[in-house]
Amino acid sequence: MLRRFYLEEPERVQEASDLLARYGESAKAYAGGTELLLAMKEGLVHYERLINIKKIPGLDQVKLEDGAIRIGALSTHRKLAGSPLLQERLPALVRMEQNVANIRVREVGTLGGNLSFAEPHADPGTLLLVLGTRLVAEKASSKREIPMERFFVGAYETCLEPDELLTEIHVPLQPAGSSLVYLKFGYLERPSVGLALFLAFNERERSIAEARLAVGCVGPTPRRIDEAEGMFRGKGVKEAASLISRAGEIAGHASDAIGDLHGSQDYKEHIVQVLLKRAFHHACGKLQEAGKGRGELHG
Amino acid sequence: MRFEKQIEILGSREKVWEFLWDVDRFITCVPGCKEAGTVEAGRIYTALMVEKVGPFRVEFPMRIEVVQNDGFSTIKAQASGSDSKVGSRMKVELEVHLMGEGERSRLSFVASVDILGKLAALGHSIIKRKADQVMDEFAQAVKKRLEGNS
Repeated sequence: MLRRFYLEEPERVQEASDLLARYGESAKAYAGGTELLLAMKEGLVHYERLINIKKIPGLDQVKLEDGAIRIGALSTHRKLAGSPLLQERLPALVRMEQNVANIRVREVGTLGGNLSFAEPHADPGTLLLVLGTRLVAEKASSKREIPMERFFVGAYETCLEPDELLTEIHVPLQPAGSSLVYLKFGYLERPSVGLALFLAFNERERSIAEARLAVGCVGPTPRRIDEAEGMFRGKGVKEAASLISRAGEIAGHASDAIGDLHGSQDYKEHIVQVLLKRAFHHACGKLQEAGKGRGELHG
Repeated sequence: MRFEKQIEILGSREKVWEFLWDVDRFITCVPGCKEAGTVEAGRIYTALMVEKVGPFRVEFPMRIEVVQNDGFSTIKAQASGSDSKVGSRMKVELEVHLMGEGERSRLSFVASVDILGKLAALGHSIIKRKADQVMDEFAQAVKKRLEGNS
């Protein structure tokens, strides 16, 4: 049962930050509440005061500005799943958002809330890791940008300060001739393994100019797998394809998988290998299609 | 969840053994142990274990029973406790083996830890990682404490 709490409804980021600073550990920012309220109902955590930030205007916009897609942290999964801008520029993100949890979560859950709660079995963090994403965090007196790679500190822990709010997610536009795939595996709503692969193709040299790979859900935080990325860079598609099994093994080992109720460590590492193979073929398939049609491909 | 740790200590077996039974010194090496007490020396002890993962804080008041004590070589103990606030229970079976010669000792721990209830449903893997960290920190703290003359 949900215990009694006070609800504050600030209308500005500064006001929300002040409240968080004033009430310290007894207060928590709250947006969609899909994770936080569930944990509170279960009695796993209790806050005397929730700071409802949904009434702060302007934090739910999705726009293209200065070469980046700027996503307001209060954008719901549903909004992102139906965004024409994202559909045109970042369709892989749209597909991921269409499959986050369930319809109730997508309706009210926000991207900023999902990232800030840092639940290990979540999709967005893994995908955003391969996109050069930067997160904007604000508090009463300052504003800073955090590279996605530095945002997650551990399970349920981010580098946000107690009185800081995540306000925007900046995703740079991906170059033409690049391909982005996010795949996940799980038998319940929470994914057991998530994998994101970004490939950029050098058409003149017929090779992979850039590769970024991230694995999530298997350990405390999603992580980039630099060791496997390096195997693809500068290689032709055929040569890279011949290395995919080895890259999968490396990615599995480097993913920091922990055995749990979703499966053993070995099992998860195996699923990483399988997903990497599929993602690679899917990404190359998209690149070839784009090449034939001379169309531009952005994820 | 099963954990195994082993540490080499520059110190005699007798010194290590004595340390293991000195509750006040011993608990300073157990991460998250806030209080400990002796109910019946050599047999029954109590401890309050507090841990935090992100926003989640758990408090397990534990009762620890020593079920086997083979002087200077083996201790077997069982511990259990509940956190009623978060509706979770923890059970631990611990085996401690001590070997040594002269001024060198080898201490090994085998712990079987079960966490039941809502906490386990929330994040079994996270608990496992945390428990592993706690065991590592504990082993290092014991080594430091025994080799540091404190």
